[in-house]
Amino acid sequence: MVYYITTLMVYAGVDAIACLGLSQQFGVGGVTNFGFIIFQAAGAYAAGVLSLPSDSANGGFQSYILGWNLPFPLPWIGAALVGGLLAIPFAWIVGRRLRGDFAAIGLLVTAVMFNVLVNNYVPLFNGAAGLSLVPSPLQSALNPQSTGYQWGYGAVAILLAFAVYWVVTRLTNSPYGRTLRAMRDNDAVADSLGKNLLALRTSSLIVGGAIAGLSGGILVGFINLWDPQAWGYAETVVLFAAVIIGGLGNHRGAMLGALLVPVAFEEATRYIPPVPNDPNLVPALQWVVIGLLILAFLWFRPQGILPERRRKLATRAAPEDPGLPFAIRTPDDRGAGIPAGAATGPVAIADLPAQSGSEVILECRDLTRSFAGVRAVDGVSMTFERGRLTGIIGPNGAGKSTVLAMLAGTLQPTSGRVLLHGHDVTGLPAYRRARLGLVRTFQLASEFKRLTVLENLVCAIPGQRGETVRGALLGRRYWGAQERDGIERAQRMLERFGLLALADRYAGELSGGQRRLVEIMRALMAEPDVLLLDEPMAGVHPHLAHQLGMALVALCEEGTTVVMVEHELSIMDEFCDPVFVLADGRVLAAGTMEALRAKEEVVEAYLVG
Amino acid sequence: MSLFVASIGFGLVTAAVLALAAVGFTLQFAVTNVLNLAYGGVMIVSAYAAYLLNEHGVNAWVASLAAIAAGGVLSVALNNVVYTPFQRRGTTPIAMVIVALGMTLILEFGTQAIAGPTNVSLNMSQGATVKLGSIILTVVQLVIIGLSIVVMLLVHGLVRYTRLGKAMRATAANRDLARNCGIRTELVITMTWLISGCLCGLAGATFAMNSGTFGATSTDIFLVLILAAVFLGGPGQPYGAMLGALVIGLATEVSASIIVSDYKDVIAFVILLTMLAVRPSGLLGARA
Repeated sequence: MVYYITTLMVYAGVDAIACLGLSQQFGVGGVTNFGFIIFQAAGAYAAGVLSLPSDSANGGFQSYILGWNLPFPLPWIGAALVGGLLAIPFAWIVGRRLRGDFAAIGLLVTAVMFNVLVNNYVPLFNGAAGLSLVPSPLQSALNPQSTGYQWGYGAVAILLAFAVYWVVTRLTNSPYGRTLRAMRDNDAVADSLGKNLLALRTSSLIVGGAIAGLSGGILVGFINLWDPQAWGYAETVVLFAAVIIGGLGNHRGAMLGALLVPVAFEEATRYIPPVPNDPNLVPALQWVVIGLLILAFLWFRPQGILPERRRKLATRAAPEDPGLPFAIRTPDDRGAGIPAGAATGPVAIADLPAQSGSEVILECRDLTRSFAGVRAVDGVSMTFERGRLTGIIGPNGAGKSTVLAMLAGTLQPTSGRVLLHGHDVTGLPAYRRARLGLVRTFQLASEFKRLTVLENLVCAIPGQRGETVRGALLGRRYWGAQERDGIERAQRMLERFGLLALADRYAGELSGGQRRLVEIMRALMAEPDVLLLDEPMAGVHPHLAHQLGMALVALCEEGTTVVMVEHELSIMDEFCDPVFVLADGRVLAAGTMEALRAKEEVVEAYLVG
Repeated sequence: MSLFVASIGFGLVTAAVLALAAVGFTLQFAVTNVLNLAYGGVMIVSAYAAYLLNEHGVNAWVASLAAIAAGGVLSVALNNVVYTPFQRRGTTPIAMVIVALGMTLILEFGTQAIAGPTNVSLNMSQGATVKLGSIILTVVQLVIIGLSIVVMLLVHGLVRYTRLGKAMRATAANRDLARNCGIRTELVITMTWLISGCLCGLAGATFAMNSGTFGATSTDIFLVLILAAVFLGGPGQPYGAMLGALVIGLATEVSASIIVSDYKDVIAFVILLTMLAVRPSGLLGARA
């Protein structure tokens, strides 16, 4: 009986640790590592061969590498290290620009193949027989068979589970965790804001892998066996089931899920008496039930038993009278803060004193992009000068968004070059360009749905101290002050656009126009030199659109360069100079809107009506 | 040398079974954008359906008809009862993969709970052996190859020359547009899953014949081969899947004759990972 309870304790600790690793990797980081169980297996193997004497001992009946006979706790540390190191080849798969489900398939297949290799390769893994007689920790000093040792082992496993919980919670509640969640919600947007997806995913895999490795090390020291059959891909599905049922993105949920699924289902039922004549019936039915549980939860309660917690960052309360979230200012004072004359008629940007006007910040030369033989963009060359609000118009399918995507680095051109500050950035990925000050927004709604409005904004701040694993682990004392400044800046921004009352709402709950604003504010939080906006006014209330235009003009005066794709010609008339007209993937004309309206071919192509 | 040539024969048999499976898988992906990982599970349930009849004295080839029917019905049910409702709810592609894995557990272990853990085999004569130079194949293996070629020609005719095939291609290219053009996309999707399910069932039956014995989880590794064939040709490309099946079938069996047979599936795995990394749209797919 004691043995049964202590065994359950150890399994509870081991499964909780593994689920926490997966929760951090999948629930927070969105990395679908269907090879997760491999990391636990590798950790267990490492702990085994580090603690075993060389393989010629015991008459050399099993073969394995190393056999260093290391004292506790070195094998456990080795287990975590090996789990972390194994993440590096896996990162190669998820690091590619690959559909999420394709990458998941790659990882799943890798797990299946690892199992094939392990079962067949005798010199390294002793083949299908696995390893036995793995020493228990401290077995020379203590008696592993004693009741006290068993209780102690269970207690250590559970304590370690709480220690791991503390670590992953610290990671998740830091700016690093926030960036991971942003990547999980929309990786292309995180990329465009300067987040290095490859580094983030690799760190996720390493952290999760090290945790899984540790859990394997703890397990192998207790059961003294390493059985390759126990690490099939289906075991990964069990852990996924646990994390989904517990609650994605909630580490407490992961611990609860570990108790409910692997512990209650696999281990506790191990002692159900087998059905006479059919010893396999109960285990087979267990798998069926796990499959049904996954489907049922994804259908009825996809957020799990303990849903992800909404994180309220606000340091001060919303103003007394939030008013309508949309009514920012009355039309009378809409020009506040804008130079005289700006509120009426076209803004004569060229006359403004802050204009330097001649310095080219961003340039593209002969940009071409083909999709399956169709030339969507065909030899486009443009220059964008500092402090100007440049417009790009054109009929549907003219290639406007494609040009914008190539400028931002979201899309690679088939040929042609992009120059930023005179340097060729054509080969640079989007996140590198964002770090050089080139930030874009997207035509389709692209808010981070399960981040609050305030988190959406704060997330975009470049160079956050707590955005690395190290910074996150150093804790709030390391990054807290900078975080407070960031939150205050975000709150001022929200106030300016009248959305402060919504600061703690999930961005996914907002209306289309509000989300659009959040997106633009988020881009502004990144403090770009060049801001590329793809139809920023679409779906935005006309008053607000005007307000937004004013804010953009003010930005330009401060030296920011803004490029805006827009269909609404009145916006172009009022704010943009110069304006490029695209048609059929080429630049048809460029100049002020006034001049363009006088050109016959432009009117024919686009301006009719 | 003769071992090498002989392995080409085995490679063709594997390729024949694989082509049946991979074309079905890729058609499902084409019209519904679901990577149906439960495909191996459906194959094995179909194989057991054939086994059940075969146990009661029905000829194995006739019993294969039951496998085809079981595969078709099960696949339509799988899509209409499970995948489509989840997709309508806006379930992400990643979550769909998890749904499919859950279905795999249900199908495979449900089968195991009913049929038991021991492997079974179809009761049939493998027929005389036929020698073509160094290639030695049984009559059953030759029939499987011939059957597969006929089915591939039928698939070609279906996709190229029939109204349904045209509607399938339109639905695959753009479902909303196809519906707005008056194509009954839901019917097209159901028909596609029915046809691909029948292919899956036939693949299950021929897999059972070719491998001798089989159990509830026998197709786990075969699924890797299917995925490799599908991704080599390009997901959603029926001709790509045929080409992929031929390459993967030959590559695994030939490599088994050169290296060690224990690792023959590793070559498929390497090809799959390489395709995912270098060109996920496949050899015949449009470049994304």
